Amino acid sequence: MYSQLILKRFFCNSNSLFAAEKSLLATLRKKTGYTFSNCKKALELNNNDLTKAESWLHEQAQALGWSKATKLEGRKTNQGLVAATVQNQNAVLVEINCETDFVARNTNFQEMAEAAARACIEFSKKYALGENPLIKIDLESRQLNELPTADGKLLSDQLALMIGLVGENASLKRGICFKAAEQIHLSVYTHPYGNERNGILLGKFGGVVAFRQIRPSGVDIKKLGKDLCQHIVGMNPDRIGTVFDKPAGNTDDEKCLIYQEFLLDSEWTVGDLLKENGIEIIDFKRFECGETDKRIEEDTPEKITTCQ
Amino acid sequence: MTSFIRSRVVVPSLRTALKQILFGCELSRTQNHNKIIQYIVSNNSCSRFYSTEKKVFQRDKPHCNVGTIGHVDHGKTTLTAAITKILADKKLAEMKEYKDIDNAPEERARGITINVAHIEYQTDNRHYGHTDCPGHADYIKNMITGTSQMDGAILVVAATDGVMPQTREHLLLAKQIGVKHIVVFINKVDAADAEMVDLVEMEIRELMTEMGFEGDKVPVIHGSALSALEGKNEEIGSKAVLKLLDAVDSYIPTPVRELDKPFLLPVEHAYSIPGRGTVVTGRLERGIIKKGDDCEFVGFSKVFKSTITGIEMFHQILEEAQAGDQLGALVRGVKRADVKRGMVLCKPGTVKAYDHFEAQVYILNKDEGGRAKPFTSFIQLQLFCRTWDCSVQVTVPDKEMVMPGEDARLILKMFRPMVLEEGKRFTLRDGSLTLGTGVVSKILPALKPDEKLALSEGKKAREKKAAQAKQG
Repeated sequence: MYSQLILKRFFCNSNSLFAAEKSLLATLRKKTGYTFSNCKKALELNNNDLTKAESWLHEQAQALGWSKATKLEGRKTNQGLVAATVQNQNAVLVEINCETDFVARNTNFQEMAEAAARACIEFSKKYALGENPLIKIDLESRQLNELPTADGKLLSDQLALMIGLVGENASLKRGICFKAAEQIHLSVYTHPYGNERNGILLGKFGGVVAFRQIRPSGVDIKKLGKDLCQHIVGMNPDRIGTVFDKPAGNTDDEKCLIYQEFLLDSEWTVGDLLKENGIEIIDFKRFECGETDKRIEEDTPEKITTCQ
Repeated sequence: MTSFIRSRVVVPSLRTALKQILFGCELSRTQNHNKIIQYIVSNNSCSRFYSTEKKVFQRDKPHCNVGTIGHVDHGKTTLTAAITKILADKKLAEMKEYKDIDNAPEERARGITINVAHIEYQTDNRHYGHTDCPGHADYIKNMITGTSQMDGAILVVAATDGVMPQTREHLLLAKQIGVKHIVVFINKVDAADAEMVDLVEMEIRELMTEMGFEGDKVPVIHGSALSALEGKNEEIGSKAVLKLLDAVDSYIPTPVRELDKPFLLPVEHAYSIPGRGTVVTGRLERGIIKKGDDCEFVGFSKVFKSTITGIEMFHQILEEAQAGDQLGALVRGVKRADVKRGMVLCKPGTVKAYDHFEAQVYILNKDEGGRAKPFTSFIQLQLFCRTWDCSVQVTVPDKEMVMPGEDARLILKMFRPMVLEEGKRFTLRDGSLTLGTGVVSKILPALKPDEKLALSEGKKAREKKAAQAKQG
């Protein structure tokens, strides 16, 4: 009986002792979210001082992120997200990639996509439009890496931090900015629709469309823009098409936007819809996550195309 | 072997017993027992002369499907390779190299391309199919096609990193594909100290409880898959892997065999035989039927009871038919006109007809023979399941459209109630095109009369209604 009591006491004591000791590492890990091995290293280097270890971790995070990023460099990334947004006459689409779709669903990665879209929109805002009605700016991986984020760091630094956190390779693949004059409307859409982080749309597919009203028709411009963009994302046209284009024999193979059946109402074509509402499409772009874009693969210098 | 053959020929009544010995477990996939027996007999006798012949699958243990989930660098593939190595030493598996499992090869199941590695091995108690996929979408496709519906999973976490931000997503996936039993393997313990391992274990249990699993009861095994693979450090190497397999054996329950479920026969045809009555034919999907069993016909808004008065297979009388048998059943007091293809004959009270359900569906892309265009809610498709088909109206609850090559949760409303149950697989077709494959995930309340009427409404009527509802 006594021995049992004693034994019990002993166990209790040893347990609480153990808990007190391990709580340092546990607290640090819980507080910072960095990997156990890094937390342990931080504690060792700072003589188990929690505050010092924490600040050391934050200081080191960037370097650790970079070292992880270099280690993982070269691993294939073909999953990810397309982020899209419009802000006063500027619209952007950015694609960022990771290795698995699990990570693409994670908030850390979505924050990264959001930051990338914001950086692009700031970049686009600074650009002078001049006399052009619409400017398109293609951004390659290299240029995206060098864009500054809201807190003054480079996008590539933030990417490295994220890589350090999720332990998967990731990359900023491509971006495109549309900058338009007053009379032109810009719309974006991502599929699956509705995943929004602070005004930035996220999805596996993204589209941007620039159009203008040539004849007043009282149509809801915002809704029409979104519907047109959804059509572009869904039907993947390769050109707008002019009167010189001939409709393809099979509607399923139609790649010319104006001859395609409208996605949301197959009774009419996009061309009919545009005519009915007095709309003219000026340009569009569609991103599909993981697709290979020839232009991006070729190493071309910064390219600015103006329309019309 | 000769005694086998003789007993087959001479004592037909011994056949069932023999079958049970031979294929103790699942008989659901065997269409024709006669054929199968002959096949195995001849194969065995062949192997005497040609030692390179394919090995004959021995069905002497219950089967269970498991899979690995976890972060890419935490050693899922190494663990799988280690399991095959350790079991190969016991002659229970074929050793697989890391590179054979890694970069899961593309496989086509039901016309759908999946990146998946299927590996088989057995422990002393059970036979396993092991699935390893690179991504969320692949696990979903694997679940939908049903090639190896996972009964349980092994979550691999490295002790050095602990729970990753995306581990949450891994557990969400397990929930989505209906995996309730997870065994945790903490890998790379040789690179961490005991304190870290304990903390990782605590963290996992906490997260699993938060995600709705039984975090306190989940078996957690510590070890190093690499040590096991390299044959070093037995305590955390091979012994840990064996411990893991023990946990998998005991924690993940054996799925109910098709044979043990209440019987169900989807009706293919009904014939009227003069002087005898009505015979329905079809392949017994599950269970066992015997002469004299009470049965029930369900389908086409009808339910009626009857009794099975005779079973025949290949014009021979059968005392008892088992899942997988293609048979004809003579039923008492039923007119031929009462029974239609698409009904089911089942144990009374075990199934019901439904007209409203939720499903996980994979939509084929164009290369897989599907449609090139996406679709939106209110599309009307043809649903094929068992021997019946029915028009359904599709609602897409989570997205605005579904792109080809995507999986989606769909709400399906049928034009008339048909026999369904959770876990049943079906095909969606649009005209002559196969659009996708799905699995019933949840039965929803039956449609009300006005909802039924609304099914046949056109787009204009729907818009008018919506506008009225807005005003009112």
